[in-house]
Amino acid sequence: MMRYHLLGIMLFSLVFTNPSLAAESITLPQGILELKPSPAPRTTLDDLDGETYTLKQDKGAWVFVHFWASWCGPCREEMPAIQNMISTLQAEGLKVAMINTAEDEDTVFSFLSAYAPDIRPLMDRDGQVTEKWRPRGLPATYLVDPDGQVLYQALGGRAWDTAPYMSFLRGLMKTK
Amino acid sequence: MLYLPILEIYKTLMQTRNILLQSTAGLLSLFLAAPGNADPVPHYDSAELAVGLMPRAPQQIAAFYEARGFSKPMVERLKQQCFITVWVHNKSQNIIWLDLARWEFSNPNSNVTRLDRHYWKAEWSKMQIPPAHQSTFRWTLLPEILDFQPEEREGGNIVLPRSNSPMQIHASFPTKADKSGIPITVIFNNIECAQDP
Repeated sequence: MMRYHLLGIMLFSLVFTNPSLAAESITLPQGILELKPSPAPRTTLDDLDGETYTLKQDKGAWVFVHFWASWCGPCREEMPAIQNMISTLQAEGLKVAMINTAEDEDTVFSFLSAYAPDIRPLMDRDGQVTEKWRPRGLPATYLVDPDGQVLYQALGGRAWDTAPYMSFLRGLMKTK
Repeated sequence: MLYLPILEIYKTLMQTRNILLQSTAGLLSLFLAAPGNADPVPHYDSAELAVGLMPRAPQQIAAFYEARGFSKPMVERLKQQCFITVWVHNKSQNIIWLDLARWEFSNPNSNVTRLDRHYWKAEWSKMQIPPAHQSTFRWTLLPEILDFQPEEREGGNIVLPRSNSPMQIHASFPTKADKSGIPITVIFNNIECAQDP
């Protein structure tokens, strides 16, 4: 009997302390792909104020990494939903890297003023960081786990501020 | 990849689709008139896959890329070509592959060679185009190869040498993750490069 108790405790510990196993119980909303874990590409970019951001600095938290451009229709449609989601989940511990692909400061500034004024954009000025991530297209979103592994990818634009996606992201954050 | 006005194209396609052809044994041919003949945007629609084409006039191409800050020589180079915005929607629950190597373009006289990413990379390099503009241009192209996931939609431009001859586009879409499924074949006839009004 004692042996079964120990086995139970071991299984419980395994499931509830191992993020990847716990994440398996999370329901994937539509358009989210689970990926074979791989290290996130090295990502260091400046924001519009010239402050440098490095993905590594967010190690220990889930990171929502998003690539966009102002000329892309679905990016424009998706941006307000991302801003809504961020305004709630950043306070709960989600880290965010909003990466503009190959546009200039003026374009990015005027676009965000209209669509999502609270977002802090990171400038991939020559598009080379975006290339390293090899997105399927724009917009592209990846979810990076607290160990720096890319675990999920979103297909195209998603309604991030709706219940299925908010629950999914909250579920992920509980796994860290 | 592009997502140029993909949503806009999608809406147009949805509004105008009045030809629905059923795929049989994975093989289907479409014989659609070219745009400009008061016919709908050329498109294919089955239970598994939808594909739409929208030829772009030189002025449309110029307006789009000029607005992205592209230089005059770059825009002039692009205006000389035949741009077709392609939209693909995997409506099935299986993987469907877009593989442009399996697309054939021809006019009544000969095969037409698509101007692919390698071609443009070499051109932009010769013209010393800034990397940011090269990057933006690449993102507006249809991916060379992509495993469309269930319900996924993507789009982008294909670029062909401009010609006045109507073209046939023969596109084969492998299916299943390992491409072992029956391919879906789509044939568009009488596709013409769009002209400025």
